[in-house]
Amino acid sequence: MTQQLTQQQLDELANDLDAIRDEVRADLGERDARYIRRIIRLHRTLEVGGRVLMPFGFIPPVFVAGVASLGLAKIIENMEIGHNVMHGQYDWMNDPSLHSQTYEWDTVCTGDSWRQTHNYEHHTYTNVIGKDRDYGYAVLRLSDDEKWHPLHLLQFINYVMLTVFFQWGVGLHELESERIRRREIKLSDKKGFLKDFFRKGGRQAFKDYVFFPLLTFPVFPIVLAGNVCANLIRNLWSSTVIFCGHFTEDAETFTEASIEGESRGHWYLRQLTGSSNFTGSKWVHILSGHLSHQIEHHVFPDIPAHRYREIAPRVEAICHKYGLKYNTGSFGKQYWTVLKRIGHYSLPDRVRMKLEAQAA
Amino acid sequence: MLSTRNTHASLRWLGKQLFNREDPGAFFDPLLAVLNPMWVRGFVPARLLEVTDETADTRSFRLRPSPRWKGFRAGQHINIILEADGVRHHRTFTVASAPRQWDTDSTITLTVKRHPGGRMTNWMHDHLTPGTIVGISQAFGDFDLPEADVPLLYIAGGSGITPVLSHLMTLADRDFRAPVTLLYYVRTQADVIGAEILYALAARWPALTLHVYRTEEEGKTAFLNESHLDTVPGLRARQVYLCGPKGLMDLAGDLLLSFGIKDNQIQTTFFSAPSAVPADTPLGGAVTFGRSDKTVDAEGDAPLLEIAEAADLKPAFGCRMGICHQCSCRKTEGTVVNRLTGKASGPGEETIQLCISVPQGPVTVDL
Repeated sequence: MTQQLTQQQLDELANDLDAIRDEVRADLGERDARYIRRIIRLHRTLEVGGRVLMPFGFIPPVFVAGVASLGLAKIIENMEIGHNVMHGQYDWMNDPSLHSQTYEWDTVCTGDSWRQTHNYEHHTYTNVIGKDRDYGYAVLRLSDDEKWHPLHLLQFINYVMLTVFFQWGVGLHELESERIRRREIKLSDKKGFLKDFFRKGGRQAFKDYVFFPLLTFPVFPIVLAGNVCANLIRNLWSSTVIFCGHFTEDAETFTEASIEGESRGHWYLRQLTGSSNFTGSKWVHILSGHLSHQIEHHVFPDIPAHRYREIAPRVEAICHKYGLKYNTGSFGKQYWTVLKRIGHYSLPDRVRMKLEAQAA
Repeated sequence: MLSTRNTHASLRWLGKQLFNREDPGAFFDPLLAVLNPMWVRGFVPARLLEVTDETADTRSFRLRPSPRWKGFRAGQHINIILEADGVRHHRTFTVASAPRQWDTDSTITLTVKRHPGGRMTNWMHDHLTPGTIVGISQAFGDFDLPEADVPLLYIAGGSGITPVLSHLMTLADRDFRAPVTLLYYVRTQADVIGAEILYALAARWPALTLHVYRTEEEGKTAFLNESHLDTVPGLRARQVYLCGPKGLMDLAGDLLLSFGIKDNQIQTTFFSAPSAVPADTPLGGAVTFGRSDKTVDAEGDAPLLEIAEAADLKPAFGCRMGICHQCSCRKTEGTVVNRLTGKASGPGEETIQLCISVPQGPVTVDL
């Protein structure tokens, strides 16, 4: 559980982390611009490549190559470009095509909706049960802060559905369907949001499931199938990466009372202990949009993500200095703890505690 | 303004659906830039052909814009987009060449003086070499030539001569018959910009009377004064064009009024890029919200977000602590200090976070 740090320690923690941030900020320049432009070039190449290969998908290896190319393009665009650009990581470049507030990404969720629910709500109220709706996406019970209900027994099915249709789930996140069900808000309150959702969702579906298949009419089933596969790959990968960032075994949760009038140091503490990393090769980091460094990302959401790898040892050292757990492990291990967590909290508390006692 | 969208509306609609952007043509820019940087669509590219020294601290840059560029009128400016150390900068310069040069060989010339302490003018002198591709905007500004042949008076100082050069060359070409007088203020003879052009024009075009005043060589009397204006025949009937440093412009304005010249006879134009405020400038200042056409005075370390809200504006915001960038918007002019880092921004156009940006001197925000 959260280490009890004194206010003085929290202030020191904030100073230590601010020092890293200021140092990186002052060093931003040519290298970072070159990096993101190279990634964007790679994205365009893969996207064009995927679209061109897909109609020739009646040759099985070409189908695989086309799906891989388009799937990777979508992953890179969503994870390493879109997500990071919208965080303002490249605002300093003053390039209108990389501006956080106007960027629109290749997924159902609108940029505006994402900026509201993710950049603001999730990153400000990280892992605060009741305020951070990303915690379980309102369809998963992942801590005992939420009361158990028999329907939770089936939450593994919810999880599979969420991960398969992830882009639609994220797109509908702002609808707050759970609050509509509880009659806290009315569907009509969300009229503006729904309009935008249908426009953007329609646009995405039109592109991948209507336009490109029709364009290649005689082979349209192949192109349609390929595009579905590419979207599916992106959904599975991005949801898995995101789940590994906050829902691992030891990622901590917080109560609304604990953040009342919180200091900058406490906000930092919450980011450090509420997030988890996973290890991997350079390409695992890039394809995860460097969310493999979820801890560094949460501490410094607007620093160009490829820098996280470089500052990670220093962030880890700071964690050790204050006796905080730096939650990291291999991708497989972290993902396994996520699945375990989803499984455990689907059970009634008595059964779960018994199981946990047995395991210990 | 910078992106060119000359494609058909339905094609543009389709592009928007496919690429999720308002300027779909620019989607392929990262690839086009590799194939041929003159093909990019996000801005009008221009290739730098030649750099020539005008004076010790002034250089001319001859550019060939892509054919998409729409041309300009004498006296107009363009924004030039430069990337220095990963950061895009926009700076405004007057086209110093005449439209005829653009018509004949599709090039334009920008004449740029090193601005003491200025970031980009020095960078341009030190880094721009022939072959470099820069971005430019379409031309703008209304420092226009007179339609009829009326007597003219130009008062220019230092690098403020650039629009005047373009004007004079164009007037000479059209065989302008009314008298034209130029009073040009420089520090020393070596600081005369466009000397070759000016003296050649004076020699071959009888309508032009050229006076060069060297303020450092000739002493106090060389600064603009009544006796200079006394030498201009038929002064009250002249249409006057002013371009130079603020001190000169203010002085000229006052003197001209005392000579009975009316405001509507005088045209002035933009002179130089805004410069950074001194580091010891106190926080606060006049904040102008460009889009809402509102100006308020701010004091102390209040961030722009609070200033905007106090002025009844409703900018988007989120965390109010500098994390989420929901409140990011364009600052078009002025210096702001970042509350988190304590660092002051540059004076030009850039994106800032309202919730942690404190004005230092006058600031204009696109809100």
